[in-house]
Amino acid sequence: MSLLPRLSRSFSSSATRCLATPVTQKPALNKVFKIYRWNPDEPAKKPTLQSYTIDLNQTGPMILDALIKIKNEVDPTLTFRRSCREGICGSCAMNIDGQNTLACLCRIDRNEGKESKIYPLPHMFVVKDLVPDLTLFYKQYKSIKPYLQNSEPPADGKEFLQSPEDRKKLDGMYECILCACCSTSCPSYWWNQDEYLGPATLMQAYRWIADSRDTKTAERKEVLQNEMSLYRCHTIFNCSRTCPKGLNPALAIAKIKMELAAD
Amino acid sequence: MSLLASAPKRAISRCLSHSRPLLASRSATTQSDALYVPGGPIYKGTVNDPTSFPTPSRMHGSHHWSFERLLSASLIPLTGAAFATSPSVHPVLDGILGVSLVVHSHMGFDSMLVDYLHPRKYPVLGRIATWTLRTATVGVLVGVYQFNTNDIGLTELISKVWTA
Repeated sequence: MSLLPRLSRSFSSSATRCLATPVTQKPALNKVFKIYRWNPDEPAKKPTLQSYTIDLNQTGPMILDALIKIKNEVDPTLTFRRSCREGICGSCAMNIDGQNTLACLCRIDRNEGKESKIYPLPHMFVVKDLVPDLTLFYKQYKSIKPYLQNSEPPADGKEFLQSPEDRKKLDGMYECILCACCSTSCPSYWWNQDEYLGPATLMQAYRWIADSRDTKTAERKEVLQNEMSLYRCHTIFNCSRTCPKGLNPALAIAKIKMELAAD
Repeated sequence: MSLLASAPKRAISRCLSHSRPLLASRSATTQSDALYVPGGPIYKGTVNDPTSFPTPSRMHGSHHWSFERLLSASLIPLTGAAFATSPSVHPVLDGILGVSLVVHSHMGFDSMLVDYLHPRKYPVLGRIATWTLRTATVGVLVGVYQFNTNDIGLTELISKVWTA
Protein backbone atom coordinates (compact mmCIF):
# COMPACT_ATOMS: atom_id res chain seq x y z
CA MET A 1 0.00 0.00 0.00
CA SER A 2 1.44 3.31 -1.01
CA LEU A 3 1.48 6.30 1.28
CA LEU A 4 -0.46 8.68 -0.94
CA PRO A 5 -4.00 7.27 -0.61
CA ARG A 6 -3.59 6.94 3.12
CA LEU A 7 -2.36 10.51 3.38
CA SER A 8 -5.18 11.92 1.28
CA ARG A 9 -7.69 9.94 3.28
CA SER A 10 -6.46 11.50 6.50
CA PHE A 11 -7.20 14.95 5.12
CA SER A 12 -10.80 14.21 4.21
CA SER A 13 -13.45 13.72 6.84
CA SER A 14 -15.10 10.36 7.18
CA ALA A 15 -17.35 9.36 4.33
CA THR A 16 -20.35 8.51 6.45
CA ARG A 17 -20.24 11.90 8.15
CA CYS A 18 -20.67 13.63 4.77
CA LEU A 19 -23.94 11.89 4.03
CA ALA A 20 -27.29 13.35 4.99
CA THR A 21 -28.57 10.00 6.16
CA PRO A 22 -26.29 7.98 8.37
CA VAL A 23 -25.09 4.74 6.88
CA THR A 24 -24.53 2.87 10.10
CA GLN A 25 -27.72 3.19 12.14
CA LYS A 26 -27.26 3.36 15.89
CA PRO A 27 -29.49 0.95 17.81
CA ALA A 28 -32.82 2.50 18.81
CA LEU A 29 -32.83 4.03 22.26
CA ASN A 30 -36.53 4.32 22.93
CA LYS A 31 -37.61 6.54 25.77
CA VAL A 32 -41.10 7.32 27.00
CA PHE A 33 -42.13 10.95 27.47
CA LYS A 34 -45.28 11.55 29.47
CA ILE A 35 -46.68 14.94 28.59
CA TYR A 36 -49.52 16.89 30.19
CA ARG A 37 -52.36 17.39 27.72
CA TRP A 38 -55.39 19.61 28.09
CA ASN A 39 -57.47 21.01 25.30
CA PRO A 40 -59.59 24.11 25.95
CA ASP A 41 -61.90 23.07 23.10
CA GLU A 42 -62.96 20.09 25.21
CA PRO A 43 -63.37 21.71 28.62
CA ALA A 44 -65.32 18.78 30.05
CA LYS A 45 -62.40 16.42 29.48
CA LYS A 46 -59.96 16.20 32.35
CA PRO A 47 -56.26 16.88 31.76
CA THR A 48 -54.32 13.69 31.00
CA LEU A 49 -50.75 12.53 30.72
CA GLN A 50 -50.12 11.28 27.22
CA SER A 51 -47.20 8.94 26.52
CA TYR A 52 -44.95 9.32 23.51
CA THR A 53 -42.09 6.99 22.71
CA ILE A 54 -39.26 8.33 20.61
CA ASP A 55 -35.82 7.12 19.62
CA LEU A 56 -33.23 9.25 21.39
CA ASN A 57 -30.61 8.37 18.77
CA GLN A 58 -32.76 10.15 16.19
CA THR A 59 -33.32 13.18 18.43
CA GLY A 60 -31.30 16.17 19.56
CA PRO A 61 -29.91 16.22 23.08
CA MET A 62 -32.40 18.56 24.73
CA ILE A 63 -35.99 18.14 25.93
CA LEU A 64 -37.06 20.82 23.46
CA ASP A 65 -35.64 18.71 20.60
CA ALA A 66 -37.78 15.81 21.76
CA LEU A 67 -40.88 18.02 21.99
CA ILE A 68 -40.31 19.39 18.49
CA LYS A 69 -39.76 15.87 17.17
CA ILE A 70 -43.00 14.71 18.76
CA LYS A 71 -44.87 17.68 17.32
CA ASN A 72 -43.34 17.21 13.86
CA GLU A 73 -43.55 13.47 13.54
CA VAL A 74 -46.00 12.03 16.05
CA ASP A 75 -48.67 14.44 17.21
CA PRO A 76 -49.06 17.88 15.63
CA THR A 77 -51.71 18.86 18.19
CA LEU A 78 -49.12 19.00 21.01
CA THR A 79 -48.87 22.66 22.01
CA PHE A 80 -45.93 24.41 23.65
CA ARG A 81 -44.10 27.73 23.41
CA ARG A 82 -40.59 27.90 22.02
CA SER A 83 -38.55 30.40 20.16
CA CYS A 84 -34.79 30.82 20.46
CA ARG A 85 -33.80 27.23 21.45
CA GLU A 86 -30.75 28.60 23.29
CA GLY A 87 -32.02 29.79 26.66
CA ILE A 88 -32.35 33.52 26.03
CA CYS A 89 -36.04 34.01 25.20
CA GLY A 90 -37.61 32.18 28.13
CA SER A 91 -40.52 30.86 26.09
CA CYS A 92 -40.08 27.15 26.71
CA ALA A 93 -40.25 27.30 30.52
CA MET A 94 -42.00 24.18 31.80
CA ASN A 95 -41.88 21.64 34.58
CA ILE A 96 -39.62 18.77 33.51
CA ASP A 97 -39.26 15.82 35.87
CA GLY A 98 -40.42 17.94 38.77
CA GLN A 99 -38.15 20.91 38.12
CA ASN A 100 -39.10 24.18 36.51
CA THR A 101 -36.61 24.83 33.76
CA LEU A 102 -36.22 25.78 30.13
CA ALA A 103 -36.81 22.82 27.83
CA CYS A 104 -34.05 24.08 25.53
CA LEU A 105 -31.45 24.03 28.34
CA CYS A 106 -32.57 20.73 29.86
CA ARG A 107 -30.74 17.63 28.65
CA ILE A 108 -32.74 14.46 28.11
CA ASP A 109 -31.93 11.83 30.69
CA ARG A 110 -30.65 9.01 28.45
CA ASN A 111 -31.73 6.31 30.88
CA GLU A 112 -34.37 4.61 28.72
CA GLY A 113 -35.89 2.76 31.66
CA LYS A 114 -36.95 6.04 33.22
CA GLU A 115 -39.79 7.99 31.66
CA SER A 116 -39.66 11.79 31.54
CA LYS A 117 -42.69 13.69 32.77
CA ILE A 118 -43.37 17.14 31.35
CA TYR A 119 -45.95 19.48 32.84
CA PRO A 120 -46.70 23.17 32.31
CA LEU A 121 -45.41 25.62 34.94
CA PRO A 122 -47.09 24.67 38.22
CA HIS A 123 -50.05 26.49 39.70
CA MET A 124 -50.71 28.66 36.67
CA PHE A 125 -53.85 28.69 34.58
CA VAL A 126 -53.31 26.59 31.50
CA VAL A 127 -54.12 27.93 28.05
CA LYS A 128 -53.44 24.62 26.32
CA ASP A 129 -51.15 21.63 26.98
CA LEU A 130 -47.80 23.11 28.07
CA VAL A 131 -48.78 26.75 27.59
CA PRO A 132 -49.45 28.59 30.88
CA ASP A 133 -51.31 31.88 31.14
CA LEU A 134 -48.68 34.44 32.18
CA THR A 135 -50.95 37.49 32.00
CA LEU A 136 -50.87 38.16 35.75
CA PHE A 137 -47.10 37.64 35.81
CA TYR A 138 -46.67 40.35 33.17
CA LYS A 139 -49.19 42.65 34.86
CA GLN A 140 -47.16 42.35 38.07
CA TYR A 141 -43.94 43.03 36.21
CA LYS A 142 -45.52 46.15 34.76
CA SER A 143 -46.61 47.30 38.23
CA ILE A 144 -43.02 47.76 39.45
CA LYS A 145 -42.34 50.19 36.58
CA PRO A 146 -39.40 48.32 35.04
CA TYR A 147 -37.82 51.31 33.33
CA LEU A 148 -35.46 54.13 34.25
CA GLN A 149 -37.20 56.96 36.08
CA ASN A 150 -35.13 60.11 36.31
CA SER A 151 -36.71 63.52 35.98
CA GLU A 152 -33.40 65.39 35.69
CA PRO A 153 -31.70 65.46 32.31
CA PRO A 154 -28.29 63.77 32.07
CA ALA A 155 -25.36 65.99 33.06
CA ASP A 156 -23.73 65.80 29.64
CA GLY A 157 -27.07 66.03 27.85
CA LYS A 158 -26.59 62.62 26.28
CA GLU A 159 -26.65 59.76 28.73
CA PHE A 160 -26.72 58.92 32.44
CA LEU A 161 -23.24 57.88 33.47
CA GLN A 162 -22.53 55.24 36.09
CA SER A 163 -19.38 54.17 37.91
CA PRO A 164 -18.14 50.61 37.30
CA GLU A 165 -18.96 49.79 40.94
CA ASP A 166 -22.56 50.96 40.54
CA ARG A 167 -22.85 49.02 37.31
CA LYS A 168 -21.61 45.91 39.07
CA LYS A 169 -24.60 46.02 41.44
CA LEU A 170 -26.87 45.17 38.51
CA ASP A 171 -24.96 42.02 37.58
CA GLY A 172 -26.95 38.90 38.33
CA MET A 173 -30.24 40.81 37.98
CA TYR A 174 -30.33 42.34 34.53
CA GLU A 175 -29.75 38.88 32.99
CA CYS A 176 -33.22 37.73 34.03
CA ILE A 177 -35.26 36.67 30.99
CA LEU A 178 -38.62 36.55 32.83
CA CYS A 179 -39.27 32.90 32.05
CA ALA A 180 -41.32 32.65 35.29
CA CYS A 181 -39.57 29.45 36.41
CA CYS A 182 -38.71 30.98 39.81
CA SER A 183 -42.07 32.59 40.53
CA THR A 184 -44.01 29.45 39.68
CA SER A 185 -41.73 27.34 41.88
CA CYS A 186 -42.49 29.47 44.94
CA PRO A 187 -45.18 28.04 47.26
CA SER A 188 -45.97 31.53 48.51
CA TYR A 189 -46.61 32.57 44.92
CA TRP A 190 -48.84 29.53 44.43
CA TRP A 191 -51.11 30.46 47.34
CA ASN A 192 -51.06 34.25 47.05
CA GLN A 193 -50.11 35.15 43.51
CA ASP A 194 -52.87 37.76 43.22
CA GLU A 195 -51.14 39.87 45.90
CA TYR A 196 -47.56 38.59 46.28
CA LEU A 197 -45.30 39.74 43.47
CA GLY A 198 -43.12 36.64 43.32
CA PRO A 199 -39.33 36.29 43.03
CA ALA A 200 -38.93 37.28 39.37
CA THR A 201 -40.82 40.55 39.74
CA LEU A 202 -39.19 41.34 43.09
CA MET A 203 -35.72 40.82 41.67
CA GLN A 204 -36.55 43.24 38.87
CA ALA A 205 -37.96 45.66 41.47
CA TYR A 206 -34.59 45.52 43.21
CA ARG A 207 -32.78 45.83 39.89
CA TRP A 208 -34.31 49.34 39.61
CA ILE A 209 -33.94 50.14 43.32
CA ALA A 210 -30.23 49.32 43.06
CA ASP A 211 -29.74 51.33 39.86
CA SER A 212 -27.69 54.46 40.65
CA ARG A 213 -29.23 56.36 37.72
CA ASP A 214 -32.80 55.95 38.97
CA THR A 215 -34.14 58.77 41.17
CA LYS A 216 -37.47 57.20 42.21
CA THR A 217 -35.87 54.75 44.65
CA ALA A 218 -37.95 55.98 47.60
CA GLU A 219 -41.22 55.55 45.69
CA ARG A 220 -40.17 52.11 44.49
CA LYS A 221 -39.49 51.05 48.08
CA GLU A 222 -42.64 52.66 49.46
CA VAL A 223 -45.05 50.57 47.35
CA LEU A 224 -43.56 47.38 48.81
CA GLN A 225 -44.35 48.50 52.38
CA ASN A 226 -47.28 46.16 52.98
CA GLU A 227 -47.65 42.63 54.21
CA MET A 228 -48.43 41.03 50.84
CA SER A 229 -46.32 42.37 47.96
CA LEU A 230 -42.89 41.56 49.39
CA TYR A 231 -43.21 40.02 52.83
CA ARG A 232 -44.95 36.82 51.69
CA CYS A 233 -41.41 35.69 50.87
CA HIS A 234 -40.51 33.17 53.56
CA THR A 235 -37.00 32.45 52.23
CA ILE A 236 -37.90 29.06 50.82
CA PHE A 237 -35.15 29.42 48.16
CA ASN A 238 -36.96 27.40 45.48
CA CYS A 239 -36.44 30.42 43.21
CA SER A 240 -32.65 30.36 43.39
CA ARG A 241 -32.59 26.59 43.16
CA THR A 242 -34.66 26.39 40.00
CA CYS A 243 -33.43 29.42 38.01
CA PRO A 244 -32.28 28.07 34.62
CA LYS A 245 -30.03 31.11 34.19
CA GLY A 246 -28.28 30.52 37.53
CA LEU A 247 -29.45 33.81 39.04
CA ASN A 248 -30.29 34.37 42.71
CA PRO A 249 -33.70 36.04 43.20
CA ALA A 250 -33.71 35.16 46.92
CA LEU A 251 -30.60 37.30 47.45
CA ALA A 252 -32.24 40.26 45.72
CA ILE A 253 -35.35 39.87 47.92
CA ALA A 254 -33.16 39.68 51.03
CA LYS A 255 -31.47 42.92 49.95
CA ILE A 256 -34.84 44.64 49.49
CA LYS A 257 -35.83 43.54 52.99
CA MET A 258 -32.58 44.89 54.43
CA GLU A 259 -32.97 48.22 52.64
CA LEU A 260 -36.59 48.58 53.72
CA ALA A 261 -35.64 47.75 57.32
CA ALA A 262 -32.86 50.37 57.23
CA ASP A 263 -35.19 53.05 55.84
CA MET B 1 -70.23 47.12 16.06
CA SER B 2 -73.29 49.17 16.96
CA LEU B 3 -73.21 47.61 20.39
CA LEU B 4 -69.57 48.55 20.80
CA ALA B 5 -70.23 52.09 19.65
CA SER B 6 -72.93 52.62 22.24
CA ALA B 7 -70.88 51.11 25.01
CA PRO B 8 -67.78 53.27 25.54
CA LYS B 9 -69.31 55.59 28.10
CA ARG B 10 -70.40 52.68 30.22
CA ALA B 11 -67.02 51.09 29.82
CA ILE B 12 -65.24 54.20 31.05
CA SER B 13 -67.46 54.55 34.09
CA ARG B 14 -66.81 50.91 34.93
CA CYS B 15 -63.07 51.33 34.61
CA LEU B 16 -63.07 54.37 36.87
CA SER B 17 -65.30 52.98 39.57
CA HIS B 18 -63.40 49.66 39.87
CA SER B 19 -66.62 47.74 40.08
CA ARG B 20 -66.79 44.12 41.16
CA PRO B 21 -65.75 41.40 38.71
CA LEU B 22 -68.23 41.12 35.89
CA LEU B 23 -69.16 38.10 33.86
CA ALA B 24 -67.81 38.76 30.40
CA SER B 25 -66.45 36.74 27.55
CA ARG B 26 -62.87 36.98 26.33
CA SER B 27 -63.90 39.23 23.44
CA ALA B 28 -65.26 41.88 25.79
CA THR B 29 -61.83 42.69 27.25
CA THR B 30 -62.05 46.40 26.52
CA GLN B 31 -65.51 46.81 28.01
CA SER B 32 -65.37 45.26 31.45
CA ASP B 33 -63.32 46.12 34.48
CA ALA B 34 -62.49 42.50 35.21
CA LEU B 35 -62.25 39.74 32.69
CA TYR B 36 -63.82 36.49 33.78
CA VAL B 37 -63.04 33.28 31.97
CA PRO B 38 -65.01 30.30 33.33
CA GLY B 39 -62.67 28.42 35.65
CA GLY B 40 -59.93 30.85 34.82
CA PRO B 41 -58.28 33.85 36.44
CA ILE B 42 -59.99 37.11 37.32
CA TYR B 43 -57.97 40.12 36.25
CA LYS B 44 -58.52 43.63 37.56
CA GLY B 45 -58.59 45.99 34.59
CA THR B 46 -57.50 44.96 31.13
CA VAL B 47 -54.62 42.62 30.45
CA ASN B 48 -52.43 45.66 29.77
CA ASP B 49 -53.05 47.35 33.14
CA PRO B 50 -50.49 46.79 35.86
CA THR B 51 -51.57 45.20 39.13
CA SER B 52 -52.15 47.62 41.99
CA PHE B 53 -50.44 47.79 45.38
CA PRO B 54 -52.19 47.92 48.77
CA THR B 55 -51.96 51.15 50.77
CA PRO B 56 -48.39 51.45 52.10
CA SER B 57 -48.04 50.80 55.82
CA ARG B 58 -44.69 50.40 57.55
CA MET B 59 -46.35 48.71 60.51
CA HIS B 60 -47.38 45.87 58.19
CA GLY B 61 -44.20 46.13 56.15
CA SER B 62 -40.66 46.72 57.31
CA HIS B 63 -41.38 47.41 61.00
CA HIS B 64 -43.24 44.12 61.33
CA TRP B 65 -40.40 42.26 59.60
CA SER B 66 -37.64 43.95 61.63
CA PHE B 67 -39.46 43.31 64.90
CA GLU B 68 -40.04 39.67 63.99
CA ARG B 69 -36.38 39.11 63.08
CA LEU B 70 -35.01 40.93 66.13
CA LEU B 71 -37.36 38.98 68.39
CA SER B 72 -36.32 35.67 66.83
CA ALA B 73 -32.64 36.55 67.18
CA SER B 74 -33.01 37.74 70.77
CA LEU B 75 -34.72 34.49 71.77
CA ILE B 76 -31.40 32.66 71.38
CA PRO B 77 -29.47 34.61 74.08
CA LEU B 78 -32.64 34.80 76.18
CA THR B 79 -33.01 31.03 76.19
CA GLY B 80 -29.31 30.66 76.97
CA ALA B 81 -29.57 33.15 79.84
CA ALA B 82 -32.60 31.36 81.27
CA PHE B 83 -30.70 28.08 81.01
CA ALA B 84 -27.65 29.49 82.77
CA THR B 85 -29.30 31.46 85.57
CA SER B 86 -31.74 30.56 88.28
CA PRO B 87 -35.32 31.70 87.54
CA SER B 88 -36.08 32.35 91.19
CA VAL B 89 -33.22 34.86 91.32
CA HIS B 90 -34.12 36.55 88.02
CA PRO B 91 -37.93 36.52 87.75
CA VAL B 92 -37.85 39.45 85.26
CA LEU B 93 -35.76 37.41 82.84
CA ASP B 94 -38.22 34.56 83.20
CA GLY B 95 -41.07 36.96 82.46
CA ILE B 96 -39.35 38.43 79.39
CA LEU B 97 -38.71 34.94 78.06
CA GLY B 98 -42.36 33.99 78.60
CA VAL B 99 -43.68 37.06 76.79
CA SER B 100 -41.13 36.81 73.93
CA LEU B 101 -41.92 33.16 73.29
CA VAL B 102 -45.65 33.82 73.16
CA VAL B 103 -45.31 36.88 70.89
CA HIS B 104 -42.89 34.96 68.66
CA SER B 105 -45.31 32.07 68.23
CA HIS B 106 -48.21 34.49 67.73
CA MET B 107 -46.39 36.12 64.82
CA GLY B 108 -45.55 32.72 63.37
CA PHE B 109 -49.15 31.54 63.49
CA ASP B 110 -50.38 34.88 62.20
CA SER B 111 -48.04 34.54 59.20
CA MET B 112 -49.59 31.15 58.46
CA LEU B 113 -53.09 32.63 58.62
CA VAL B 114 -52.11 35.42 56.21
CA ASP B 115 -50.66 32.80 53.87
CA TYR B 116 -53.44 30.25 53.93
CA LEU B 117 -56.58 31.81 55.43
CA HIS B 118 -56.42 35.43 54.31
CA PRO B 119 -59.73 37.27 54.81
CA ARG B 120 -59.76 38.32 51.13
CA LYS B 121 -60.19 34.66 50.20
CA TYR B 122 -61.92 33.38 53.35
CA PRO B 123 -63.97 36.30 54.65
CA VAL B 124 -65.63 34.27 57.43
CA LEU B 125 -63.19 31.48 58.26
CA GLY B 126 -60.18 33.80 58.01
CA ARG B 127 -61.61 36.30 60.51
CA ILE B 128 -62.67 33.51 62.88
CA ALA B 129 -59.15 32.07 62.73
CA THR B 130 -57.50 35.45 63.29
CA TRP B 131 -59.63 36.23 66.32
CA THR B 132 -59.20 32.71 67.69
CA LEU B 133 -55.44 33.21 67.49
CA ARG B 134 -55.65 36.61 69.20
CA THR B 135 -57.83 35.18 71.98
CA ALA B 136 -55.51 32.22 72.43
CA THR B 137 -52.44 34.48 72.60
CA VAL B 138 -54.01 36.73 75.23
CA GLY B 139 -55.14 33.64 77.16
CA VAL B 140 -51.65 32.15 77.06
CA LEU B 141 -50.09 35.46 78.12
CA VAL B 142 -52.42 35.64 81.13
CA GLY B 143 -51.71 31.99 81.90
CA VAL B 144 -47.94 32.47 81.70
CA TYR B 145 -48.22 35.55 83.94
CA GLN B 146 -50.23 33.62 86.52
CA PHE B 147 -47.88 30.64 86.30
CA ASN B 148 -44.81 32.84 86.72
CA THR B 149 -46.16 34.86 89.65
CA ASN B 150 -48.12 32.24 91.61
CA ASP B 151 -46.30 29.03 90.67
CA ILE B 152 -42.76 27.85 89.83
CA GLY B 153 -42.55 29.65 86.44
CA LEU B 154 -41.65 28.56 82.91
CA THR B 155 -37.93 27.96 83.24
CA GLU B 156 -38.28 26.04 86.47
CA LEU B 157 -41.00 23.88 84.89
CA ILE B 158 -38.81 23.00 81.92
CA SER B 159 -35.81 22.19 84.11
CA LYS B 160 -38.02 20.00 86.30
CA VAL B 161 -39.51 18.17 83.30
CA TRP B 162 -36.00 17.80 81.86
CA THR B 163 -34.65 16.10 84.96
CA ALA B 164 -37.82 14.16 85.76
